[in-house]
Amino acid sequence: MITAGVDLGTQSVKVIILKDGAVIGRGKAFSGFDPAKAAEQAMDEALTRANLSLGDLSHVTATGASMALAPKADSTVSMMGADAKAGVFLFPKARTIIDVGAEEARAVRCDDRGVMVEFVVNERCAAGAGAFIEAMARALEVKLEEMGPLSLKAERASPINASCVIFGESDVVTLIHRQESKPEIARAVFDAMADRISSMVHRLGVNPDVVLLGGVAKDAGFVASLKRKLDIDVLIPEFPEFAGALGAALIAASKAERSQK
Amino acid sequence: MISQQKKYMIEISQKEIEELRNSVKATSRKVMAENIARMKKTSKNRPKAMEYFDEVADLFGKREKEIQAAKESGKKVIGYMCLFAPTEMILAADAIPVRVNSGWYDTSKLGDRVVPVEVCPVIRSTIGAKMIGLSPYLELSDALISVLTCDGMTKLGEILSDYKPVWAMPIPRVKDLPQSLRFWREGLLTVKGQIEALTGNKITRKKLKSAIEKTQKATKAFRRLQELRKGNPVIMGRDAMLVNQTYMWDDITRWTEKTEALCDELEEKVRRKEWSCSLDAPRVMVTGTPMIWPDNWKLPTLVEEGTPQGVLVADELCSSERLLYDPVGVDEWTMDDMLNAIGERYLMASTCPCFTSKDGNADRINWMLNKIKEWNVQGVIYYVVRGCMSYAMEYTRIKKVLDGINIPVYYLDTEYTREDVGQMKTRVEAFLEMLTARIDI
Repeated sequence: MITAGVDLGTQSVKVIILKDGAVIGRGKAFSGFDPAKAAEQAMDEALTRANLSLGDLSHVTATGASMALAPKADSTVSMMGADAKAGVFLFPKARTIIDVGAEEARAVRCDDRGVMVEFVVNERCAAGAGAFIEAMARALEVKLEEMGPLSLKAERASPINASCVIFGESDVVTLIHRQESKPEIARAVFDAMADRISSMVHRLGVNPDVVLLGGVAKDAGFVASLKRKLDIDVLIPEFPEFAGALGAALIAASKAERSQK
Repeated sequence: MISQQKKYMIEISQKEIEELRNSVKATSRKVMAENIARMKKTSKNRPKAMEYFDEVADLFGKREKEIQAAKESGKKVIGYMCLFAPTEMILAADAIPVRVNSGWYDTSKLGDRVVPVEVCPVIRSTIGAKMIGLSPYLELSDALISVLTCDGMTKLGEILSDYKPVWAMPIPRVKDLPQSLRFWREGLLTVKGQIEALTGNKITRKKLKSAIEKTQKATKAFRRLQELRKGNPVIMGRDAMLVNQTYMWDDITRWTEKTEALCDELEEKVRRKEWSCSLDAPRVMVTGTPMIWPDNWKLPTLVEEGTPQGVLVADELCSSERLLYDPVGVDEWTMDDMLNAIGERYLMASTCPCFTSKDGNADRINWMLNKIKEWNVQGVIYYVVRGCMSYAMEYTRIKKVLDGINIPVYYLDTEYTREDVGQMKTRVEAFLEMLTARIDI
């Protein structure tokens, strides 16, 4: 059976094609002003890689902030539901799943079937999410991908406010004026984010296997800060930014199976 | 002579007041019409008896004109903010009780000119409504009863006293101390005197008895409606909430009759198995900050129009089920006994988080546990507007209790704004999806 998951995120659209539990195609496109068009692009890319056409798909499930705009979706699933499903599929013992995307950070607690039982979302502010790193990189005049490696050179962190992107940025400017080193400021940014996210995770209770998903999981600086804050190892899959699409594709598979019966 | 200088309120030009009032009123009319249209669309087999409540829900409609006419014939109108104002005494003095808390989002921004944004939006919005003379019921009130519950309400009364006579009623915040009920009863006697002085009508034993009988009948109808929500959904939660809420400004006798008629129709629907939505819809209860018509319909709308669709079967809101759930229980119809009964009904039965006791707010927990069990609630949404401290703080304890009985609860914080609907939708739908997944298995 072949199914697809489409994750229409705030920054990019990701598509996964799944055949009998194995990923056979991936596609990605920037959401831009037309997420529906981006979804078509990402779908085309994934189908080309899998050497398939749209007609081969038994079921398509959409997720992500713009899921309502998904073209040709048979069903939708919440981002939290998709995270839970993907997290347990990738790491069967995982019961706490964290997802840090561009605009939102979430933590989900789930059972052994990957059904979520509780979730928390960062409250109406992007300070715990990827957009925060971008804003801080701008303030430090470094590239986004340099932030992580830079922060790892720091011996200590300077304290900043991460309750708000705007206030966080003005704190960073203050630190720059105090001539604190860039690595220390970069680490402060990640520590502040990790602080917010770990308190979300603690509200759910920390289970031994914690999985980190979402685009920000690729940032070594953030991962180091989060591990320090949670004081446990964090499991990260090979393509963390595709986890939402994977979860949706898995849910598509179980829906297709159910309708076959 | 009292100085003309306002203690809190800022000066706005008459022209700005009128412009703002017209624009907020126009938006509000649109919101009310849209809410009702959506409620009609959502509910399958929507009861015909709802038409009356749809009409009386118009805040600038028939009821405003009625009260206006009653005032012209010499009746007094007494407004109140918190539920503890003794409606029976107002009725016994032949005056009209109306609740004046504001549910307008747009006026909360006006309130920001008087108090900081950190203040609870229910308060800011009521201040804003007063600034532009928006609320017919607040405007028509001859005096206001301000029960000193939370910090916001305490100061709101003080601010509104820039415009109207405000009778502050202190309420004991520890319910189960021996002096509490005594203290509260003394306050009731004071407010009784104030009502009598304003209206020129003495609250006699006979009049108070007949007023109590009137609200007892209303309570009976009210309870009958909530009982009907225990089984398969025969009325959508939003419709029931609207019925409950119109009690705050409608004529009580007529409201009672119309609610009884609605219940007759609902019972018939139960017999015919005409349900208001799919029987698979997860059964949700909301608790927290009051949700006031018309703008504050955001969360109930998201639940009942969500994918998957949920249905509100119960709530623990002072703007809905807490309004009338508890009757005034009189043993003997002496003045003394009636005053005791009113005192107990308002103080002891309340589950408001402004109270504490030997066991904290155990009354609220018991209310919720009972509702969850009897109304077969599958998940609870804990709704808090920013700045609503008492509800925010009690969350931790409520969550522990609900965890203990394996009932999912989701803490949803919001503001008096329309802009966060998208984010709220993501959360509410994820919660409903989670409840559905639990039911499936």
